[in-house]
Amino acid sequence: MNLLAWLTTTDHKRIGILYLTTSLFYLLVAGALALGIRTQLARPENTVVDAHTYAQMFTLHGTAMIFLVIAPFALGLANFLIPLQIGAAEMAFPRLNATSYWLFLFGGLVVFGGAASAEGAAATGWTAYAPLSEIAVSTGIGQDLWIVGVFLVSVATILTAINLITTTFVYRAPGMTMWRLPIFTWEMVATSLLIFMAFPALAADLLLLFVDRRFGGHAFDPNGGGSAVLWQHLFWFFGHPEVYVMILPYFGVISEIIPVFSRKPIFGYTGLVLSAFAIAGLSMGVWAHHMFTTGAVNNPFFSFVSFLIAVPTGVKFFNWIGTMWRGSITFPTPMLFSVGFLLNFLFGGVTGVMVASPPIDYHAQDSYFVVAHFHYTLGGGSLFAIFAALFFWWPKMFGSLLDERLGKLCFWLLFVGFNVTFLPMHLAGIDGMPRRVVTYADMGALPLLNLIATLGSYVMAAGVVVFVVNVVLTMRRRIPAGNDPWGANSLEWWTSSPPHEHGFTSLPPIRSERPVFDARHPEVAVRR
Amino acid sequence: MLAADWRLFALVGLAVALLVWALILFAALRWRRRDGDPLPPQFRRHDALEITWTVLPLVLVCGLFVYTYRAEATVESLDATPDLAVAVNGFRWGWSFAYTGGPVITGDANAPPQLVLPVDKLTRITLTSADVNHAFWVPDFLFKRDAIPGQATQFDLRPTKLGTYLGHCAEFCGLDHARMNFSVRVVAPDEYARWLRAQRIGARP
Repeated sequence: MNLLAWLTTTDHKRIGILYLTTSLFYLLVAGALALGIRTQLARPENTVVDAHTYAQMFTLHGTAMIFLVIAPFALGLANFLIPLQIGAAEMAFPRLNATSYWLFLFGGLVVFGGAASAEGAAATGWTAYAPLSEIAVSTGIGQDLWIVGVFLVSVATILTAINLITTTFVYRAPGMTMWRLPIFTWEMVATSLLIFMAFPALAADLLLLFVDRRFGGHAFDPNGGGSAVLWQHLFWFFGHPEVYVMILPYFGVISEIIPVFSRKPIFGYTGLVLSAFAIAGLSMGVWAHHMFTTGAVNNPFFSFVSFLIAVPTGVKFFNWIGTMWRGSITFPTPMLFSVGFLLNFLFGGVTGVMVASPPIDYHAQDSYFVVAHFHYTLGGGSLFAIFAALFFWWPKMFGSLLDERLGKLCFWLLFVGFNVTFLPMHLAGIDGMPRRVVTYADMGALPLLNLIATLGSYVMAAGVVVFVVNVVLTMRRRIPAGNDPWGANSLEWWTSSPPHEHGFTSLPPIRSERPVFDARHPEVAVRR
Repeated sequence: MLAADWRLFALVGLAVALLVWALILFAALRWRRRDGDPLPPQFRRHDALEITWTVLPLVLVCGLFVYTYRAEATVESLDATPDLAVAVNGFRWGWSFAYTGGPVITGDANAPPQLVLPVDKLTRITLTSADVNHAFWVPDFLFKRDAIPGQATQFDLRPTKLGTYLGHCAEFCGLDHARMNFSVRVVAPDEYARWLRAQRIGARP
């Protein structure tokens, strides 16, 4: 493997793999930070780390998981997959694509670089609420590095969205009409539109904060005519669509995997596509449900729109169940993770409807109930889909399958560990445990609930170790994959594994959203 | 009101979750592949079913919204004639409680302050912050409100049970956030009057 070739590559497959590898590296770092957090919280009045270190740890954990793991993993996957799924040879703007990757890599390093400064890394949470993040309170350069790093990542994200959407609209192979796009590609189109609308608000918010901190601005300083609530408006105008930037791609992943292992076409294709755009549209109008307790927003409006999002999300669930219905279902590791995704995410959705009700949110907001809620969507949801995607597309990327027995062990450790970690947090929140606390009182059930959660997090860590062992072992003793080890549907399974440098040497006729299936089963293929 | 809201949403939520979990597991386990199974039926859509599972949840969430809208209006309504008023100010890392025409109680993380309230009386709280965002949260009241510098928000409390309740800052505000606690002691009206008198005597030079 030629290192220089990888450093200078503009090949979408290589950039995709660089993106995925980098986000998995950040995942390991963020996971280690989470273990530190859980270790500190294992006992009340614990002193494993001090309050300042703890604040840096949860800030970096949140920042990394959101900006450097869950969203970029999806972008990396899209980089690798979308040109293949639509039968294109390359992304529309290959050099822009490389630019995105390097901005993302160095943006993340800049954020973490703050840890080397005298006052440490940013310590204001991934939400960096002003005025806490203003220079008068957070004097360290770590906060500035956080701003610059996240800004670089947000530019990278916008550029990738431009690339993905142009590629999908312009570079489709003959026969690949929009209504034959695989669902993953559709979900990335909706995701890219969300990125266009949301990330500029984040970039503006970050620039304003930087001007406040270093050039004497007062945007978020109430003593200088600014507004502390303005930060929250701009931040959540980005931050809530971002939640869907972190879940729509994984809805796509699940929608690719379930039909393959049910040996049926995806059920309700049109409904799945329309629901993606319904979610994207509605998600632009819910940002202030993060601000119900400020007393500064129209709670009923934001509550109603938040409730509405449950409807298109429900449509997706019923479509996935409909896909499995009367199928012929097998359970290799990608399918296990997909069903795990369904079970976990459903619970996060239900608690999401609860906290969309302001009178409930008045108690739940900023408590461990909300911590549990969003970990069920992004951990039990997105992260499980990340593993599903890794096991599913690994043979396509590297020509070698991951070991199934270790894969299943990895799934069960993560599934049990995840639920043991996060289920008790709902109760801790209802009992009155605020989030982002370095310690808590030795009162009632809190010590027991926290100890259970900490033990669960160690089980999850064991699951990740099993995954790493799996990767190392199968790199040494390869399990040859062939073009299509799963009997799959979309075009990427037509080409060789790993794919030919220019994607394809030939293409099958494209008559539906699953041309590879049609070629394999001409007796039931769509003929149009 | 708030407890009833929690119960309703938790019950509806669990019912929906159990139903959908059952559907997922049933579908996944009932139609496991057995050796020699032929290709299953390749159906793709069912318009009536799809419309049904769009409309039914829509009706359900609209119903939940109507309920929540009413509950919120009750929780947020401000009484025209509160029995007493307290200005609450959050700061890094403590609280001050200024009773209108009465004492000012201040305490920090090392000596958390106590807010004394008469039972069954209506207290108007006016909340703000001196520096960064904080949040005033008494878990037993199932209620919190953000304390934001540069803006004051108001809400009414009418505690109905005697006792002492722990309160926290719920919005991360820096180093000692976890220790920025306070307590609320709900007392009988005559005890409240005695407490007020004692505060006045204590305040004299």
